[in-house]
Amino acid sequence: MNSETLNTLDSYSKNKYKYGFVTDIDNEKPKKGLNEDTIKFISLKKNEPDWMLEWRLKAFLKWKKMKEPKWANLNFPQIDYQDIYYYSAPKGFDKKPKDLSEVDPKLIETYNKLGIPLEEQKVLAGVAVDVVFDSVSVATTYKGELEKLGIIFCSIGEAIQKHPDLIKKYLGSVIPPGDHSFSALNSAVFTDGSFVYIPEGVKCPMELSTYFRINAENTGQFERTLIIADKGSYVSYLEGCTAPKRDDNQLHAANVELIALEDAEIKYSTVQNWYPGDEDGKGGIYNFVTKRGLCAGKNSKISWTQVETGSAITWKYPSCILKGDNSIGEFYSVAITNNFQQADTGTKMTHIGKNTKSKIISKGISLGKSQNTYRGEVSFLRKADKARNYTQCDSLLVGNKCGAHTVPYIDSKNNTAVIEHEASTSKINEDQLYYCRQRGLSHEEAVSLIVNGFCKQVLQELPMEFAVEAQKLVSISLEGSVG
Amino acid sequence: MNIQDNYLKNKKNIFFTENEDVENHRKKLINIFEKDRFDKKNNESLKNVNLKNFLDFNYKYLVPEETSVINNNHDNSYSIVSVNGQCASFKDDKIEITKILDEDYNDFSKNDTIEKNDHFVNLNSLFLNSGFKIIIKKNNNIKIKISNIITDDDLTIFQKNNYICEDGSSLNLIEEFENKNNSTSNILNVIKLEKNSQLNHFLIQDNAPDHNLIITTHSSCKKDSIYNQKVYNFSEGYVRNFHYSELIETNSEADLQGIFFLKDNNTSNNKTFVKHLAENCKSNQVYKGILNDHSKATYFSNTHVDQEAQKTEGYQLSKGILLSDNASYFSKPELKIYADDVKCSHGSTIGPIDENAIFYLRSRGMSKIAATKILISSFINEELSSIDNEQMSEKIQKKLVRYLSQVK
Repeated sequence: MNSETLNTLDSYSKNKYKYGFVTDIDNEKPKKGLNEDTIKFISLKKNEPDWMLEWRLKAFLKWKKMKEPKWANLNFPQIDYQDIYYYSAPKGFDKKPKDLSEVDPKLIETYNKLGIPLEEQKVLAGVAVDVVFDSVSVATTYKGELEKLGIIFCSIGEAIQKHPDLIKKYLGSVIPPGDHSFSALNSAVFTDGSFVYIPEGVKCPMELSTYFRINAENTGQFERTLIIADKGSYVSYLEGCTAPKRDDNQLHAANVELIALEDAEIKYSTVQNWYPGDEDGKGGIYNFVTKRGLCAGKNSKISWTQVETGSAITWKYPSCILKGDNSIGEFYSVAITNNFQQADTGTKMTHIGKNTKSKIISKGISLGKSQNTYRGEVSFLRKADKARNYTQCDSLLVGNKCGAHTVPYIDSKNNTAVIEHEASTSKINEDQLYYCRQRGLSHEEAVSLIVNGFCKQVLQELPMEFAVEAQKLVSISLEGSVG
Repeated sequence: MNIQDNYLKNKKNIFFTENEDVENHRKKLINIFEKDRFDKKNNESLKNVNLKNFLDFNYKYLVPEETSVINNNHDNSYSIVSVNGQCASFKDDKIEITKILDEDYNDFSKNDTIEKNDHFVNLNSLFLNSGFKIIIKKNNNIKIKISNIITDDDLTIFQKNNYICEDGSSLNLIEEFENKNNSTSNILNVIKLEKNSQLNHFLIQDNAPDHNLIITTHSSCKKDSIYNQKVYNFSEGYVRNFHYSELIETNSEADLQGIFFLKDNNTSNNKTFVKHLAENCKSNQVYKGILNDHSKATYFSNTHVDQEAQKTEGYQLSKGILLSDNASYFSKPELKIYADDVKCSHGSTIGPIDENAIFYLRSRGMSKIAATKILISSFINEELSSIDNEQMSEKIQKKLVRYLSQVK
């Protein structure tokens, strides 16, 4: 283990949850609860056209008739949807600031604490950041350079105003509002999120990234992200989350839709570090995320990479619909659960087109009293000739009070398709541990090193900036629970 | 007709209707059926099952006229003919065979560790009309062959069998199901393995296209005991093989294996479930299937490791070969692990026959069909070569040849 990781471990052991602070900004909220008025309020606040309001109300009608999906291996109290604020925007954002100097200095300070100084990132990192702070995009940087290439990268609210044609065509086309109750809920009340459109033949020169951050108490965050990669284009998108320390459970139900047309490629990476609750399992974020990508055109590719360390409840299945011939879907995941966290995560690969390929690598690590489930479905439909899937899901158990579960669903209706699945569950190898200890590492360092090695196959898929952060996160997540 | 009416109408033919505990249990079962109307969407084990046949059935049972025969061949082997689920009582110093008793029924219904959420097992308990109990006495080594014969068309057999292997005993059990009529049998085997006992259980299934067989096994293993099960399914009719095993004391082992050969419009549902409840136990679940024409199969395997069950080894393997465009195979290999010092894994593959292997054989002058047949035989060779009973091995070989002759 290098000295950097050691230093990080050291610094993190001193302050328990670095991101557990609250920025004191006045919030403008509607009343608690979910009804048609709430949706009209949101729509009005966002200055949306009538067709959008109609779309939301339709989704709301569907949601009213639906029950929460029950398949997941999760235990949590019933969510009271009427006890949640559905909109919260920092004051004075009805008129958007034109550049960073107009942004509330307190917000800027928050980002500095989080380690993502906008000014610095703008200049040094070369990353255009579309920051979401409590539902409203605060500032969008690097727009000019992207505009030159014809790339649209803005908040979804802005896209509804400026690019109604694209929104009308693609919004809800991959995740229909009536898919399940969380997607219907999101469709009805989504407040913000990112919109990306990469025009034909353009390779996006930089990694696009958004930082989400829940700030106001009892505010569910309902993000809606829509990424469209036109023919022959390429984009890599980063998503990272941290949330302040709270005692009340906060609901998060995001929808992410990806559409890759002919020869296009989308790479979507996530590092999720929402507040997981304290050592006694109190508080923490409920994270119910629907992520789905559609490989619509021939030779298209969608790749999901995720590192899940936070949230009290993680319910997340980034999936790919491989419709175009020769399209490729990939899923790389590391999920770490500690204390009383519960994660039920995995993927769904639906092979429709000929010669479609998918690959699933999932690594689950359970510590403390947590429960970690991989749940994945691979299905080959009748016409998926010569389709191919490889799935590997490994679980590591640290301690005897946690659980690791693997629930794959494999369905083949085509006799030329080949599917391979393997999974293993074990504890940390004693020999490896002994080897590390012999060379002078402490028990905790040794475990951290081995776990990092266990996850390497996934971590190496992350873009550079994320890979470093993710590696630190993995070490931090293990802290205090081994030995 | 709903299930309650069906039950009340045929009560005179059903076992233990006078026993209060049994009746109370059955009332609960009827309630379950009323509430949970076989919800296919939320119950994967019902995938591909033609429910109408099993819920809306005409109950018909005939008490066999001729009681079955038991031959003692002086070499510790017995052959039993079970007619319509019943067989004659028998007793010597090694084994004891009796009818199933109401106390056995209550024993099963009161056992909480058993997976109870199974509609077909509930149907079996409700309409129970036959069954027997075999006890293998201490330290005996015995072979039993059971031929399951059903005499008439349209019969509905609901049969419960209990097997008890006492301390240190060993049993080689071969069960044959070769029926040509269109009856339905729903059989539940409850197996208890005492300390240091072993049961090798072979099930050979080869029924006609209209014959339905639903067979469920619940085995529980005490200290140092071993349960081996091998299922050979050549049936042309519907077969449901659900086998549960519980390792309740240390050092016990369960090995659940099966192969199935499907063609035409046939379906088969398979499930194995091993619950590790004690330390140092081993389990293995292996199913292989070959699917032709429009056939459909499901296989659910599940390893559950309790928090107490450290040093567990649990393995699963599922392999499927699809020979036709219209065949489909669904597999769900599940691991639920609550202990940390375990070695558990599962593997699952579904695909066509390896084209390179076909090419290799064809380049040596073999026809495509011949090559396919050789590769299918080699795919299941491991399961066939492990049979040490020559008679049985020959029988299975014949059935395999019959199946392969229809592969085109």
